[in-house]
Amino acid sequence: MTRTVVRPQWVGELGRSFVTFSAALVIGALVMVATGRDAWGAYRTLFAVAFLGAQNLADTLLAATPLIFTGLATAVAFRAGVFNIGVEGALYLGAFAAAWIGFTLTGLPAGLLIPLAFLAAGLAGALFMLIPGALRAYLRVDEIVTTIMLNYVAISFTSYLVNYPYAVPGLANAMSPKIALAAQLPRLLPPSQLNLALIVVLLLVPLVHWLLSRTTLGYELRALGSNPIFARWSGVPVPAVILQVMLLSGFIGGLAGAGQVLGVNYRFVDNFSPGYGFDGITIALLGRNTALGSLIAAVLLGALRSGGATLELFVDIPKDLILILEATIIFFVTAEFVLTFPRRRHAGVH
Amino acid sequence: MAEAVPLVRMEEISKAFPGVLANDRITFEVADGEIHALVGENGAGKTTLMRILYGLERADAGRIYWSGRPVAIQSTEDAIHLGIGMVHQRFQLVPSLTAAESVTLGQEPRRGVFFDRARARAVVQELGARFGLAVNPGARIAELSVGEQQRVEILKLLYRQARLLVLDEPTTVLTPQEVAQLYEVLRRLVAEGRTVIFITHKLAEVLAASDRVTVLRRGCVVGTLPTREATGEGLARMIVGETMPAILARGGEPPGPPMLRLERVSAADDRGLPALVEITLEVRRGEILGIAGVEGNGQKELVEVATGVRRPTSGRFLLNGQDLTRADVAARRRAGLAVIPEDRYTEGLSLPMTIEDNLIATRYRALATRGVLRMVAVRAESAALMRRFDVRAPHPRVSARTLSGGNLQRVVVARELGGEPAALIAAHPTRGLDIAAARFVHQQLLEMRTRGGAVLLISADLDEIMALADRIGVLFAGRIVGELSAAAATREQLGLLMAGRSATA
Repeated sequence: MTRTVVRPQWVGELGRSFVTFSAALVIGALVMVATGRDAWGAYRTLFAVAFLGAQNLADTLLAATPLIFTGLATAVAFRAGVFNIGVEGALYLGAFAAAWIGFTLTGLPAGLLIPLAFLAAGLAGALFMLIPGALRAYLRVDEIVTTIMLNYVAISFTSYLVNYPYAVPGLANAMSPKIALAAQLPRLLPPSQLNLALIVVLLLVPLVHWLLSRTTLGYELRALGSNPIFARWSGVPVPAVILQVMLLSGFIGGLAGAGQVLGVNYRFVDNFSPGYGFDGITIALLGRNTALGSLIAAVLLGALRSGGATLELFVDIPKDLILILEATIIFFVTAEFVLTFPRRRHAGVH
Repeated sequence: MAEAVPLVRMEEISKAFPGVLANDRITFEVADGEIHALVGENGAGKTTLMRILYGLERADAGRIYWSGRPVAIQSTEDAIHLGIGMVHQRFQLVPSLTAAESVTLGQEPRRGVFFDRARARAVVQELGARFGLAVNPGARIAELSVGEQQRVEILKLLYRQARLLVLDEPTTVLTPQEVAQLYEVLRRLVAEGRTVIFITHKLAEVLAASDRVTVLRRGCVVGTLPTREATGEGLARMIVGETMPAILARGGEPPGPPMLRLERVSAADDRGLPALVEITLEVRRGEILGIAGVEGNGQKELVEVATGVRRPTSGRFLLNGQDLTRADVAARRRAGLAVIPEDRYTEGLSLPMTIEDNLIATRYRALATRGVLRMVAVRAESAALMRRFDVRAPHPRVSARTLSGGNLQRVVVARELGGEPAALIAAHPTRGLDIAAARFVHQQLLEMRTRGGAVLLISADLDEIMALADRIGVLFAGRIVGELSAAAATREQLGLLMAGRSATA
């Protein structure tokens, strides 16, 4: 008799991502060796400046916080086979909504103001997804195209808001007024800017995991993502699930924006995101569209970014190394994505 | 025959896959110039053994002798070089190529650097005439019937000078007439000095077409015997390791009031062409209505329209008197409709999901409170279904991918029949299943009938329809061209109707 060890599927899946990440490190090492640098020393230093010491670790987690949000936002959609590329747009709208609550309802206590700001941010992101979500669900309009395009609409709209209606006179850069002190998230480990948003997103991780594995919506989206034809034949209400998934993804994307506004910037700054929403795609793919995987992937990416920023100070390694590593990771995960997903898409939801 | 050196001798072949010993010290011999049937349940190791012979798999242990000479077959090239050819269950043809191009692909006759089309056609014509495999060499694969495509596959092997042809379940896709023609071809092949191994599930085919038969069970050889010494019952016992009931127990209450009704239903296929034309069917409680017919005559669309995944262009669908024409899949299922879809791998199951997830696919909502799955109920329900329908799996929460075809179909049957539905649509429910698994499915359908359920059975397997159905309708070109009581129907009558000729012609 063979004994079967029951192992959750994501263990093997994450194993593949580990290989991807390692491959990126190897390629980065080859580049360094080829240019006559000390690869081993660079990685040792990178690890040290990313993880060793409370402040280093705090900065890594600070960099990871928005990435965990956007990774989760993307993962729930991708898990359902819905390719929402609009998390960046949701993040901007969510950020502005949180800022608006923060600088408008200034009389409220923190215990009310902060949850309200997060909620408003989530709703703004979800509302934004209503458009491509409904188009995809009921008219089968390709969500990749619509969400990519609508990102520009969302970003430009927030840019308009802080340049005109909510422009602060006397400031050179376009930004909203500062949010009330009560709306500012407490710092966890000063002087690092690491703040309560990390705790929020760390609570969100098990919540998303629970949603995916223990709820009917989670079941439906897993069925849809793993085999849309099967989902349809089983009686899964495919259009409704697609719409709900888009709204959920937008909601989490909106929270990402709130985290940055309430925890780091204390105001909405025009064009503030360096592409957190798009990073979510890399993270979701690297994390195999699971909650835990997204967390791990986001922390790794956060470590590269935060460690990379200080790496140059210690060793003779340009921080372009980080770009090479990121690009390699993106290359590998996209290659796999392109090779496996279009087939499913083609099998298609009708 | 036994004294001569066998053409092939596979000795003590073993092959393990994770968790299964597919071949366990199998010794298998094929004499030169015979038709050798290789039978056994799914998972008995037939296909694995043949894949080893054809170089698609490497055996873990064992030796292969070709005409008494030890050989190492490490790739299909090695096998082809020796003169071994294989026709797979799923044909490997390019739809846009012509028959002549397909046959000669890879070893094209050339004139200079150009493809010599005339010679390719001549070769196909000549081989076809010699072996009784008539195919129009200029026709594109996409235009050919499944039977003709199979001939192209066989011609391909003959063109490559194959001495030994391995056919993996060659009859599953054929009409009764085409099966008879295939038998003829096999005899011609042997007369022309070729040797044939064919893999099958069907005892009637073994008895009709082979010289010798080898039975495998659970990766071991149960026995090899000359076909003239074999009986259907004897073989069945060797295959399943127990006696089969001679006839499926039928009878019981006479059919009750109508349960499932399609009224003048028309539908278009994916290309927008008419696939169903004014179909009217009625299945009563306690009745099995069989729909016979060659595939591609509207079966797929009939199942889809009844399930609710395809909208009819006109007509009505009623379940227990309730008009569900506009109802979606979920609403129909809530009303008591169950479906065993044609393709369990795409429509019936999600292979990446767990067995448990697959078992609850049609009732996850009933197992949830305010959108949250009651995991205790989910676990209990799926465990009960696995026990009741004997789904053999290491654990309910392993990926469905790990199960064999028979067990996967048990998962589908368990899910669809576990809830005691009022009506069932069963599309080719035993396709590709071994005898034990097929018999299990048949018993379940009959049980459903006994307890007053209505079953619409769509199958390409005439034996299955004749064994189970109370009435038989024949689908041809999207129409029901005849309806017979099962007691009165003969194979000949049905075969003619299936071919589009009227029963009296």
